[in-house]
Amino acid sequence: MDRVRRLVAGRFRGRFWALALKELRQIRRDRRLTLSLIVTPVLQVLLFGFALDSEVRNLRLGVVDESRTPESRALISTLGENATFRLAGSYATPTVMGEALAIGRLDVGVVIPYDFVRRRMRGQPATVQVLLNAANANTAQISQGYVQDAIARLNRDLVGAPAAPVELRAAYIYNPGLVNVWFIVTGVFGTLIILNGSLVAAATMIREKERGTVEQLLMTPASALEVVAAKLVPVFLLLMIMVVLVLAVAALVFHVPFRGNALLVLAACGGCVLTGIGVGTFISTFARSANQTLLISFFVNPPLAMLSGGLTPIEAMPKWVQPVTLLNPIAHFAKIARSVLVKGAGLDVVYPNLLALLVLAAIFVGVSAWRFRRQLG
Amino acid sequence: MRRILAQVRKELTQIRRDPLALALTLVLPLALVALMGTSVSLTVTDIPIVIQDLDQTPLSRQYADAFRTSLMFHVVTLPPATAPEALLATGRVRAAVIIPEHFGREIRRGRPTETQLLVDATDGNTARLTRGGAGQVTQFFARQIAPERTRVPVQTATRLWFNPGRESRKFYGPGFMVLALSIFPPVLAALAMSREAEQQTILQVYVSSISAHEYLLGKILAGMVTGLTQCLLSVGLLLTLFGLSLAGDPTPLIVGSVLFVFCVVAFGSLVGAAIPNQAAAVQAVGLGGYLLSFLLSGLIFPIENIPDGLRWISSLVQARYYIVVVRDAFLQGGGWPAVWWAVLAIGAIGLGFYALAWRAMRRMQVKA
Repeated sequence: MDRVRRLVAGRFRGRFWALALKELRQIRRDRRLTLSLIVTPVLQVLLFGFALDSEVRNLRLGVVDESRTPESRALISTLGENATFRLAGSYATPTVMGEALAIGRLDVGVVIPYDFVRRRMRGQPATVQVLLNAANANTAQISQGYVQDAIARLNRDLVGAPAAPVELRAAYIYNPGLVNVWFIVTGVFGTLIILNGSLVAAATMIREKERGTVEQLLMTPASALEVVAAKLVPVFLLLMIMVVLVLAVAALVFHVPFRGNALLVLAACGGCVLTGIGVGTFISTFARSANQTLLISFFVNPPLAMLSGGLTPIEAMPKWVQPVTLLNPIAHFAKIARSVLVKGAGLDVVYPNLLALLVLAAIFVGVSAWRFRRQLG
Repeated sequence: MRRILAQVRKELTQIRRDPLALALTLVLPLALVALMGTSVSLTVTDIPIVIQDLDQTPLSRQYADAFRTSLMFHVVTLPPATAPEALLATGRVRAAVIIPEHFGREIRRGRPTETQLLVDATDGNTARLTRGGAGQVTQFFARQIAPERTRVPVQTATRLWFNPGRESRKFYGPGFMVLALSIFPPVLAALAMSREAEQQTILQVYVSSISAHEYLLGKILAGMVTGLTQCLLSVGLLLTLFGLSLAGDPTPLIVGSVLFVFCVVAFGSLVGAAIPNQAAAVQAVGLGGYLLSFLLSGLIFPIENIPDGLRWISSLVQARYYIVVVRDAFLQGGGWPAVWWAVLAIGAIGLGFYALAWRAMRRMQVKA
């Protein structure tokens, strides 16, 4: 027992722990760094979660009612019933409404023809014209679907209309309420880890370089491996605290369900943190000063974040970009976070992504540690 | 005036001698716009789905074929003795269509039947699109097998304006051009300002005869030269790679661009003047220029969806207005009646930044 204690104490007094403790103190004294470790990620996840929402709603709907009948007014009120459309004005002629659409006062326009009722009396189909501002492809496609749904409902309600032979009944699983924020939060989580991890790691690395204290590290009796490890371990531990904070925000503020094993998510977070540290260290071995590391990360981080499937689906990207996302740690992390948290999947489902994430982390940390060691030499 | 021009010349020389900064202004932003503008899209095609056919009749197979021929879906074969839910759980497919037993018999008897669609709603937007697409395929199939029963009293004729092909890149290309312009010109401006403070060359400025206005204007004009070059190159990219063309009167775009570049460079100068440390200044611009422009400008998702408590901030984000101007110039072509307010807002925000930057500089005194 005593021997064990002495062994542990020896370890704690060892070179590695001395260096690691020095690193921890140094980070704590740098107020900007502590701030970007704790406050920034929490603020960012709140901002992203509240500000980004893909739902299509409150589209401004313009109407030209040439028919002026109870039936046409019933159709207009059907369209205004759901949250997608908001009646923004009625216009005298289609031309006037077209102008309103062109200067951006409307998103959707509907023209009900003057023979709307008469044609139906004769048993002929009446055609309602729908004008859509398709500049935003996604909004256009979804609002087109809503208009068609509303018309289909109207057709069903009209007396004498035959029932369609086949109907499709849809059920949304895993997220029946279609809560978009779950998708956004699980998507940006990986981006936040990599972004802040690389910034913090780069900052602690570059500081030694900028102030010339690398010399002092060289003079310590510690081996290069110990120096590198003592640099990485404290940053890793602090970043894991940040991860837990962000997870708490996701659960408490955004009510992301924790359906699967939280340890699995933590393991994935660990892989992501390591990758972030690797990226940051790698950048810092190229840069000469702190602002250069920041500038380089301006070019690394946006594509890493955007080509991850975190905010927009990977399937919607061009065919040649899709395989490239396999090299993106954030893409694997988002897959794991969504599968485990929202879908309740286990290791049997996410192991390819977890493996890929760990391999990527090993490569990034390995290469950057090697480059850092070479600088020490 | 001569002093302003001299300041501009000095700044431009400094930029030319710093290759990283030059790459920062010209080459890399274009690469980012090209990559992200073409890659970001919300409208999925080739959605992987699986069909479980419990009926196995000619009619049910015809229904399944309707999904196979649709451009929106990519049908994955269901392995024997597997439930479609298992494929949904692993994420191999986004949706499952389940055709019930007696599907063919019910249709032939003229009784309405139902098929089921299970959609993985982890991604709400894709789930909505999947449902809409599957509904259209079903309607198409219904019209095919029973044209007389699907004749509806009211039908729609939809016309897509401004972007009839519904190409996402035409919407996101202009957006990412604005984002790139919100990052790089202000970063350069902030660096140019805070460098003087960090390297103490600001003292030379203080002892010279130049006034705060002249000094600031010189810095800003130099930043605008590189910013407008980046802007022109980006417009060239939109006209070629993104297949866009000017939809109407180009003057709002020209005036708006000049004002916007002034605005972001003034913002960068303000940050640089307030923070005499290059790394901290770049980080501040990253927060204000990049994060706010990315989140609160309507770049990817509509501004109207932002909750009220946050949305008011977006009216102070210059990128929000410039995105309206650029998208209008290339897509809607509404011209001045459509965007005059946005151009005005950019100018007002720019003046605000300039006034603040001047306040930070005006005394031209060494800070204690």
